[in-house]
Amino acid sequence: MDNSICQGYEDKIQSLEEEIKLLAEKYEDSQQESTFFSDEEILMSIKSFQREFQGGSKGHESLSDLKAQLESLETDLSFLMKFTGIQFTSHSKKTVEKTRNRTVRKHRLSGNCHSLSFQLEFQLLEMQNKESVSAVITDLSIIMEPVEDSDVSKFVSSIEEHGNLLTFFRSLSSYAEWYEHRRCTFLHFK
Amino acid sequence: RGKMEEGEAYSPDEVFAHLEMLEAQAHEAAVKQEETEQQEEKLARLQARVQELTFQRDELRAKVDLQQKGQLGKEGVVSDPAQPSAQAVLEWKIKSVTAMLQVFYLTGISGKLTKRGVCFCISTAYEGTYLDSYYLDLLTKPEVRIHRHSVPIFIPLEQIAKKYLQTDIRRFLSVLSDHLNAYVGRRYQADQLQEHFSDHIEGTLQRNSLCNLLVFNYNVSSKSKTFPFNARLLYGDLCRSLPTEAVVSPPPDAPASLAETAAAHSDLFRRVALHKAFGSFSGAEES
Repeated sequence: MDNSICQGYEDKIQSLEEEIKLLAEKYEDSQQESTFFSDEEILMSIKSFQREFQGGSKGHESLSDLKAQLESLETDLSFLMKFTGIQFTSHSKKTVEKTRNRTVRKHRLSGNCHSLSFQLEFQLLEMQNKESVSAVITDLSIIMEPVEDSDVSKFVSSIEEHGNLLTFFRSLSSYAEWYEHRRCTFLHFK
Repeated sequence: RGKMEEGEAYSPDEVFAHLEMLEAQAHEAAVKQEETEQQEEKLARLQARVQELTFQRDELRAKVDLQQKGQLGKEGVVSDPAQPSAQAVLEWKIKSVTAMLQVFYLTGISGKLTKRGVCFCISTAYEGTYLDSYYLDLLTKPEVRIHRHSVPIFIPLEQIAKKYLQTDIRRFLSVLSDHLNAYVGRRYQADQLQEHFSDHIEGTLQRNSLCNLLVFNYNVSSKSKTFPFNARLLYGDLCRSLPTEAVVSPPPDAPASLAETAAAHSDLFRRVALHKAFGSFSGAEES
């Protein structure tokens, strides 16, 4: 008799639980994205954490875990930057839209590759389909320095038009090496 | 027979039968009563849960709104005004570095150090759409070699490794990335053609695993008649996603004027991505 009413409540419960999960994630994303701690603040935190939990207590374990995790991540990051030649100097993102299957984030990224520096802004749309997550870049804008070459400007415009971020980075490495090589050659002859 | 008639005498059997019937009725009524009570309890529990969750949801919504308002009009980033715990600071940093590592995925080469070497991840994309990524687990001692990988068998991995892996890992990854991106780009174009222009295609689009040979028939309209053209695209350079050869043949019964169209299409297919070429057809149908 009340089966449909019960079903109605059960559906409502499920939709509320999903909404709560999404809101909690939104809150955490926003907290993460609007905060910034400098390297000194990080070091100070590690020191104060160590003082608080001098040896043997449960807190000490979690500190060691966090420290180990951070070190491992930073080692990987520094390896990648050295290996690819792409040094990122700053990165910030802001979640613009978040639903069950779709997340849109705005990214700001700056860095350099040898003596070329770049500043990027783009939107990244991630969508959850049945088995995987798809990622699409839109609204890409690139500022490069130095810009002497009209060829480089044309290249950058074409990249921006098609959202070709991957091609940008792959070409950046080889162009930067060539540019550096040329610069050193000219210096040699001065 | 539910009523006792006045003045009549009933046998013990009739009395017992009647009692049994009353007992059964009472039992049924009790069971029904219990069912109803259970249903009501269940309903009450569900209602309470809905209320509880609605309250939680509203609280969170208010929290998120407040957070958004606090950030409106402020450009840049601010530190948390309330003194954050050391743990929160470390957790922030961990998330921040993780996000930076994820950005490397967008550059085409990312990875992580392992006990015995390094595991690289090559990502591929067609314009702004990221597609498959491929893994290469490398060992570095006593010499660099491939331990495991997810590169498809039709990509000449061994050849490329033989040429570059020992002398220049960067170059090795770069060349491999060229092959993988070109393959994925060719496959993407064929998929897009099948997905968005299936009404233009006659029959099935034939392709090999490497997607460097495509054969299909497509419709070309001329003077309100349609002719099935045959196209054979050969991608001779495995590091490119445009064909080196495009043979376009009109059917034998087509008017001579269409030979020019076929030549134009052949040229177009060699210069422009396949799905974009078809996009331009839809825009300018010949009459």
